Amino acid sequence: MKILSIASRNVFRNWRRTLVTTLAMGFAGFIMILFASLMQGLLQASERNAVLMDLGDIQIHASDYREDPDLYKMIENPGRILLALKQAGFHAAKRLYGFGLAAAGSTSSGVQLRGIDLSTESDVTQINQHLLKGSWLEEADPKGIVIGRKLAKTLGVNTGDELIFVGQATDGSMANDVFTIKGILKSVGEEIDRTGLYMVENAFRELMILPEGAHEIAVMRADRSMDLEAATKIATNLAPGYETLNWRELKPVIARILDLADSQMIILVIITYTAVAMVVLNAMLMTVFERIRELGIMKALGVTPWQLMLLVYAETFIQVSAAVILAGLSGSLLSRYFEHNGIDLSSLAEGASFGGVAIDPVWKAYLTPESVAIPVVFLFIIAFLAVLYPAIKAALIQPVKAIHHR
Amino acid sequence: MDMKIRTMAWRNLWRRKRRTYITAFSIGFGVLLSVTFTGVADDSYTKMINTSAVMGLGHVTIEPKGYNETPSLDKRLTGADRLREKLLQMPGVQDALIRIMGQAMLASANKSIGGAFMAVDPSMESAGQNLFIRSIIEGQLFSGTDSAGAVVGTTTAKKLNLSIGKKLVYTTTDVNGEIVSEIARVTGIFKTGVSEVDGAMILLPIDRVRSVLSYGPYDATLVSIVIKDQRRALKMLDEIDSMLDDPSREVLNWRETQSELASIITLDKAGNRIIQVLIGLLIAAGILNTLLMSVMERTREFGIMMAVGMAPFTLFRLVIIESVWFGILGLLIGVIITIPWYAFMHYHGIDFSGMIGSDYSASGVLIDPLVKIRLFKESAAWILTSVFTLTILSGIYPAWRAGRVPPVESLKEL
Repeated sequence: MKILSIASRNVFRNWRRTLVTTLAMGFAGFIMILFASLMQGLLQASERNAVLMDLGDIQIHASDYREDPDLYKMIENPGRILLALKQAGFHAAKRLYGFGLAAAGSTSSGVQLRGIDLSTESDVTQINQHLLKGSWLEEADPKGIVIGRKLAKTLGVNTGDELIFVGQATDGSMANDVFTIKGILKSVGEEIDRTGLYMVENAFRELMILPEGAHEIAVMRADRSMDLEAATKIATNLAPGYETLNWRELKPVIARILDLADSQMIILVIITYTAVAMVVLNAMLMTVFERIRELGIMKALGVTPWQLMLLVYAETFIQVSAAVILAGLSGSLLSRYFEHNGIDLSSLAEGASFGGVAIDPVWKAYLTPESVAIPVVFLFIIAFLAVLYPAIKAALIQPVKAIHHR
Repeated sequence: MDMKIRTMAWRNLWRRKRRTYITAFSIGFGVLLSVTFTGVADDSYTKMINTSAVMGLGHVTIEPKGYNETPSLDKRLTGADRLREKLLQMPGVQDALIRIMGQAMLASANKSIGGAFMAVDPSMESAGQNLFIRSIIEGQLFSGTDSAGAVVGTTTAKKLNLSIGKKLVYTTTDVNGEIVSEIARVTGIFKTGVSEVDGAMILLPIDRVRSVLSYGPYDATLVSIVIKDQRRALKMLDEIDSMLDDPSREVLNWRETQSELASIITLDKAGNRIIQVLIGLLIAAGILNTLLMSVMERTREFGIMMAVGMAPFTLFRLVIIESVWFGILGLLIGVIITIPWYAFMHYHGIDFSGMIGSDYSASGVLIDPLVKIRLFKESAAWILTSVFTLTILSGIYPAWRAGRVPPVESLKEL
């Protein structure tokens, strides 16, 4: 207890130095917290773009469909699986996929046809709210379609324009029809942006002559806190004979980037804090060396080396604590602000993606306990490492020499 | 007098050796960090830009007007061969390639997918200027410009169940907007590692595509220009533009034709800047602290100096020069510790493929997991200037304090 009060007096004795050191630490911590929550925000948005806009948590396919996406490789009895999933507390929607050529005016582009069950899709994904222009599909308007934004650019089309689809139906006949573009999607990811063409399920079935079955069932946990692995197991058991994979298995690149985020953050924190360590080291060295005489007298009076070391550490602890409070408060406050008021990057980052998933044009922060904890914990660790040398110096002072020190 | 102040400042530095070493080392460490961050960025951006450039569009692209907005096949360049001749004579141009690029539906016996094609002249193309040719893992590029060959990506091959010698049908719209199809045989399979690219792009022989699209013998949709040094792309663009002087054509740089890549680089650059500014501020805080302390503990000394007739401004200068010495010393240490690190990172690099995998892409461009450092001259100059500016700036407050020492009172102190 005494050590703490001596330490606090020492800290305030040279308040200017304390201020500069603490501010430097606090500022570094503040930036790191902000940076961490901005990174988290970016990654969360990517995960959301991948999961909530397209993949869902879990997908079920015919066992070799993903390898070789064939119109004929279907889930034969989607109704039964959908019902079972629903009873197990999942949201699920069936989807149909086909490929073909979309032409408008004098241009054409290969497209991926996506037949959507409107009544259930909105429980699974939020793609229906992710529109750049126009409106989402409607059951009453089977000729209305929604397309990806790069596809719209390639074809030079806008909402209200007509688009011709040409492809091959299941019976080998030519499938073609004229559709009207109802809406254009915001960026979701490379594949959907470039080739995605959404239409209502019935229009798809009629066009491709596919009365039954589904190519994919997308599943979403109704209870978000449920473990993804466990949920995948349950879903696997409900769809025997089919391939059931969660989004981490479907998009390993994104999953890997998300998993790596924390370790990348730790590396960045350590690098930045090394600069902090030098500031702390120098400041504490100064406080020790200008007090050699004083510390020598303390030692002569019977203060043990351990206590002196403890004293130096207590002084550091006080400064780091102040810095951490400063950093924690300002960092989380500003992060909270950016959680609600994203940074608009639309002029800067239009259409950018990584790992095939679009980057949101409005960059919002996401404050997680880790984004505060990692910078804070590492600030303590690094400051304490930096002070090791001055603390040992203080402990090893020889009283006789020190008292004569000038 | 000047000489003396400089010597005096230098000696003052060495009165507290340890402190000086730590401060100078922190500056040196800052230089190392800055070189690392900037160098990794300089190198990876260059790699990404160059990789993207050989994926079809080059650093600079000559296109028909409006093609960049809506790349439809009815827009075309005529006389592309003469254009190429002229471009190849320009200094700074590595290569100029005539290509037809467009969207197509790719189909095999009973399946079809959406894709894109790039029609090339095999005699013009080389592995160096064409990523897809470089990435061929099976078979080879078709020979002849009017053969029925095609080179497809691994994902396309898998999806359409193709292998060497198998048939592939591509369907697209011709110059009149008519839907046209043609059969090709797979001669090669490439793998770039980006599944979106491996599952969409195919290479076709250019003259065959010309006849399919009803193009003239020298028509093409674009001339893709590879510049020796990507940083000169903008300057070269102006030169090419003035040489061309044709309102029906557009000369665009990679930032315009590959805007997604440009945005990801801009984003990354911004993040990088923030970290560097932060590190700079931290180091400045360290210098400020050191100088401030050294001024404070010399209050009495400064008082005496003033009492014997030294002007306050001279004291101010003394401390500023001390901070300049710190800057020089720090840079020196920085250079000493950075050289081996730079050499290692420049020639050897660190392989992160175990961590991020070798299929990580940004805006459809593969990112090399082997991280290396390469520092452009401008970046090096920028780092040097900022280090100096920072040291001098952080010396101002302590120097001002030094110049303000009241002579009489300070002499009274112990």
